[in-house]
Amino acid sequence: MRFAVCIHQVPDVAAPAQVRDGQLVLDAGRVVLDAYAASAVEAALQLKESHGGEVEVVLVGPQKAAETLRKALAMGADRGTHLLIPEDAALDSRAVVALLAEHLGGSEADAILTGKQSQDTDAGLVGGMLAEALGRPYVTNAVGLEQDGDSLVVTRQGDRGQEVIALPAPCLVTCSNDMNDPRIPNLKGIMASKKKPVETVEASPEAPAVRTVAYAMPPEREPGQRVEGDEPAAVAQTLVRLLSDEARAI
Amino acid sequence: MPTILTHVPVSDGTPNRTALEALTRARQIAGENGWTCAASVFAPDATAAAETLGRYGAQTVYAVSDDAFAQPLGGLVVDALATVIREAAPEIVVMPSTEGMKDALGGLAQRLGAPALPDVVAFSASGTAVEATRPVMAAKFRATVTAEKPADAPVLVSVRAGSYTAEESAVTPEVIRVALATDPASLKASLREVIASASGGVDLADATVVVAAGRGVRDESGKALVDELAEVTGAAIGASRAVVEMGLFPPEAQIGQTGKVVAPDLYFAVGISGAIQHVAGMTGSRTIVAINKDPDAPIFDVATYGVVGDLHQVLPPLIAALREAKGQ
Ligand SMILES: Cc1cc2nc3c(=O)[nH]c(=O)nc-3n(C[C@H](O)[C@H](O)[C@H](O)COP(=O)(O)OP(=O)(O)OC[C@H]3O[C@@H](n4cnc5c(N)ncnc54)[C@H](O)[C@@H]3O)c2cc1C
Ligand SMILES: Nc1ncnc2c1ncn2[C@@H]1O[C@H](COP(=O)(O)O)[C@@H](O)[C@H]1O
Repeated sequence: MRFAVCIHQVPDVAAPAQVRDGQLVLDAGRVVLDAYAASAVEAALQLKESHGGEVEVVLVGPQKAAETLRKALAMGADRGTHLLIPEDAALDSRAVVALLAEHLGGSEADAILTGKQSQDTDAGLVGGMLAEALGRPYVTNAVGLEQDGDSLVVTRQGDRGQEVIALPAPCLVTCSNDMNDPRIPNLKGIMASKKKPVETVEASPEAPAVRTVAYAMPPEREPGQRVEGDEPAAVAQTLVRLLSDEARAI
Repeated sequence: MPTILTHVPVSDGTPNRTALEALTRARQIAGENGWTCAASVFAPDATAAAETLGRYGAQTVYAVSDDAFAQPLGGLVVDALATVIREAAPEIVVMPSTEGMKDALGGLAQRLGAPALPDVVAFSASGTAVEATRPVMAAKFRATVTAEKPADAPVLVSVRAGSYTAEESAVTPEVIRVALATDPASLKASLREVIASASGGVDLADATVVVAAGRGVRDESGKALVDELAEVTGAAIGASRAVVEMGLFPPEAQIGQTGKVVAPDLYFAVGISGAIQHVAGMTGSRTIVAINKDPDAPIFDVATYGVVGDLHQVLPPLIAALREAKGQ
């Protein structure tokens, strides 16, 4: 199958960051390939390896995001498309989807894969919106993906259990990071990625309909306490008393 | 009259708890603005749920009945919601942030040309603008987001579990039956198999007590203690990603950024380190008890009560003391 995988660059959620004057300040400016999109790349690579095909990665982002596109190529994707937007462009899901849809509208990709959500915003909109924009059937939150002729067989994690869904191509699937462990590019992959074709297309995103107006810290929890003692039985008694008399939780 | 519509998923006839929390908030907004508070429900027999929705203040219930809603594919939910929204023409559509609704939200937003504010912990309406607060960066921060209602589409909002408290305010709803515009058999996707939850029917997000297990639980002997603690506290069992990956707990038990968001009254974290991606799914819990042998484990930063120790030493006397306190 021919796969198109939508990937993007996100701030590293584990790096130090703070809120100053309502703005989010990323102290080290560390950025990474979105973990959910990385699982989508890995899923496409695995299916290509077992059934043949091609993997294109598509990214909407500023110049700096080119390194993320390279990373996916180093993992093993065949070619990349960088829909290049200005550094300071404010994006919402709709603007991203409009650019992706314009590029992928004419694409021969049998399957489009995205992450189930972005690691930084948890929005989870781009996949479903893009599928609808392109008139493709879609399944979200895949934890397993197999190929069966011209269809994908998707195991989707639902609220109460899993559903196994047959999805004929052309289609779109959004991937959970619980599906696989994305490979770390090795030296050979990194060298090879430098020769892989990347098409860069200048794009201007439409004005966002959803705006982020401010950032804040989450409400602080009341400071907690340690329940200590030499005897586990005494600690247990104390904890149960606190749970019933103080917290009124049991 | 302008309308705010809350979609309430039901499973086996029981409305989703987060949806009732969202409906309570929608009712407040309707009251503040002089709007109609409406709800929609899709089920094999959708009218059966109308009375419950009335109890939570739904003045109008849009009921779509079809056997396919016993186990609906996302495409069907998008079609049915789009049909109801065309009929009700609401200002705002509210839904719980369950996996089922996440599946439909993107497709629905695109089809309607509606801005979507997903996974929010608070939202309000003023005029034609909707403002919401949502956790970002693995819930380390909160973003305030806004969207303006387009002329011919609502603003869509999905709400995290535990963001509001469900409160009754009974009315007798007017039930409007809406016919499904799509033949379920015409969907391109098809359901091959349902792998039912191994943990029985309790949806974690609906539980008032959760016992969550982490890598420290390690094996069947640790798991037996977790099961026993859950049994004595009447808890649903949750898990970290690490123990789901090990196969010790089922995937639907996973709590956190990828898994579920829960906000029970009482949360036990047993052998869980407290990685931000796990904490992202449980800091809404009212009381948190952490049991971990590492005194520096970050889970203690969010715990109401922290017990440093080996779970094999801590849990047996705790289970015994809880049994005694509960007179079991
Ligand atoms: C994009 C992304 C999404 C993620 N989503 C999720 C998610 O939804 N949910 C989730 O949980 N994780 C998620 N993770 C993974 C997360 O980062 C952690 O790896 C995971 O939560 C660790 O699980 P753990 O605490 O059980 O294991 P560990 O971090 O290994 O911690 C085990 C703890 O057990 C303690 N312990 C060991 N033995 C005992 C004993 N005998 N008695 C008492 N304590 C003991 C140890 O001191 C340690 O603190 C995600 C990661 C990424 C990158
Ligand atoms: N700027 C972007 N360029 C390409 N793909 C994107 C972009 N933003 C989001 N995606 C894809 O959509 C998924 C879900 O994103 P979101 O809807 O923002 O949570 C991500 O995991 C990516 O696969």
